[in-house]
Amino acid sequence: MAEKARVEAVAFANESRERLFGTLHRPANPRAGAPAIVLLSPGVKMRVGPGRLYVPLTEMLNAKGYTVLRFDFFGLGDSEGELQESMLADVYNNIEVGRYVSDTTSALRWLREAHGFDKFVLGGLCGGAITALLTAQREERVTGLLSLGMTVTLASNAAAPAKFMTSHQLDSMRQGYIRKLLRPGSWLRLLTFRSDYTVIWYSFKNMVARKRPQAPAQPVAADAPLEQRGNANPLFPPAFFSFLQRGGRALMLFSGKDRLQAEYVEKFATPYAAQLAPFAPQLREHVVENANHVLSFPEWQREMVDVSRSWIASLEGA
Amino acid sequence: MRSATSRVSPDERGEHAGPGTRVGIESTETPFFFERGDAQLFGIVHEPVKASDTAFLMSHPFGEEKLWSHRVFVSFARELARRGHAVLRFDYLGAGDSTGSTADTSLETHLADLGGAYAWLRDRQPAAQRVGLIGLRFGATVAALFAERMAGDARIAQAPLVLWDPVVDGDAYFQELLRSNLSTQLAVYGKVIENRDTLSDKIRSGATVNVDGYDIGRALFEDGSKINLASAGHSHSGPVLVTQIAAGATAKLREDLQGIASAYPRGTFQRCTEQPFWREIKPFYGRASDLQKSSLDWLEQAHG
Repeated sequence: MAEKARVEAVAFANESRERLFGTLHRPANPRAGAPAIVLLSPGVKMRVGPGRLYVPLTEMLNAKGYTVLRFDFFGLGDSEGELQESMLADVYNNIEVGRYVSDTTSALRWLREAHGFDKFVLGGLCGGAITALLTAQREERVTGLLSLGMTVTLASNAAAPAKFMTSHQLDSMRQGYIRKLLRPGSWLRLLTFRSDYTVIWYSFKNMVARKRPQAPAQPVAADAPLEQRGNANPLFPPAFFSFLQRGGRALMLFSGKDRLQAEYVEKFATPYAAQLAPFAPQLREHVVENANHVLSFPEWQREMVDVSRSWIASLEGA
Repeated sequence: MRSATSRVSPDERGEHAGPGTRVGIESTETPFFFERGDAQLFGIVHEPVKASDTAFLMSHPFGEEKLWSHRVFVSFARELARRGHAVLRFDYLGAGDSTGSTADTSLETHLADLGGAYAWLRDRQPAAQRVGLIGLRFGATVAALFAERMAGDARIAQAPLVLWDPVVDGDAYFQELLRSNLSTQLAVYGKVIENRDTLSDKIRSGATVNVDGYDIGRALFEDGSKINLASAGHSHSGPVLVTQIAAGATAKLREDLQGIASAYPRGTFQRCTEQPFWREIKPFYGRASDLQKSSLDWLEQAHG
């Protein structure tokens, strides 16, 4: 019978001396010289990820000989500390600007000092992905980025959501409104002022406006005014290029029915196409068709795991 | 068992005692795995330096509700530990860091998991004369059924039983879960490909149906759908708190929960005002202040 991977409960301190709790998953047959892989928590969900997304990913990585650490950031999951925000969007926004880079650095230090690892792959969904990238920008020992649903925007600007929606999102919203035309409940919402008129307006305006030829989007400086920058995260482009310039390799996996994929294309990949081109060999992009943000159905999870397996094999020659 | 203990003092946590709370007691938090059959279940035990004779075991809700409500559980456990109670939180089979898949779970595995966690806590805290149960949603329902099963065990029979918004009608609850599958179908395919009847038939034929990333199999679906907490046994002799969690103070009182509370010899019904923090909502719920205060006040009154 094949040996099983071993799991143990662990805790280590961050820079504020708060204890962070996690689980360390060791392979039955460790791969010599392999990086440790740290899967970072998305949003406020804890270290297993929504729908326990990180469980099959961890099992695959263990089977390929990699050690995996999953842990909770301060104020979340089982870890110590308290968050002061009262709204989820503000928590998300603070994650997107790097709140948990320091905790991730503490995790890497702990893996280095307690377990002897000297290189790492960071991975995660959404908030976990941007935290991975912002850490990779600072930590040269991070050689790979396993990004699931990278977010290139800031959540707090969602106060004016329609203004910053992608064409894809507005198309989707408009189709939804058209489907609701025959539903009395939808008309009741509209007539009792419970609908978001701004979104309705922008979605139909987009249909007309898109018929005119548009100039391709251009890169916008990180310190540009909000009106030019929209809801794009100014920290993303410099972090991504910094990571690529020092040879980092990334799997950029998105879900087909997730706004994050359209945002990545419209707000980053298209305007920065010329700058991205030289790094194409270091990037692997994959879209799981029809999948939702959290890859909840098993077939979507399996595809994510299969693509990750193939990518990690190409990364390390596994 | 592999574990890592963390010592926690109230000051280090930056938490503030609410009205009526005592001075905090230093405690440790130890994460670990324990075995239940072939499964490895994850737990965290909160242990005050000087523990009282009443410990608590917390029973989390099913599926994604566990993740959304997790921090409320953590905050409540820490508050109980600060008041001198040992507390064990753990993950059911197929949930959190525990092994297995929800597809392999049933009502029986849930009860067995709770039994395994209770045995672990009893061995760890032999001085605890009472082990209270605290559960939310489906976790509350499992706790109530477990308490009935353990009526002959004085540690549980005499201890508090706290049911936060328990699932009363199992059939309605599992149909609600299937509705979540329909919502996912609508969002990604633009239409419902398999309706609830089809999904129910699939499960009954031995296949699984996924709800927010969690596979539901036949055993859990069929046993769970038969649950009716209103007509289940209510012989628990210790104090029982049944809490209706309502988003607004003017919400209608739930007669089913009032009926369940009154069916227990020492039952109390309460309503508290909280958003449904076990779902995705706009506020961030690090703790459920009203629920926490009303539950702790009741525990003090009912149990001292």
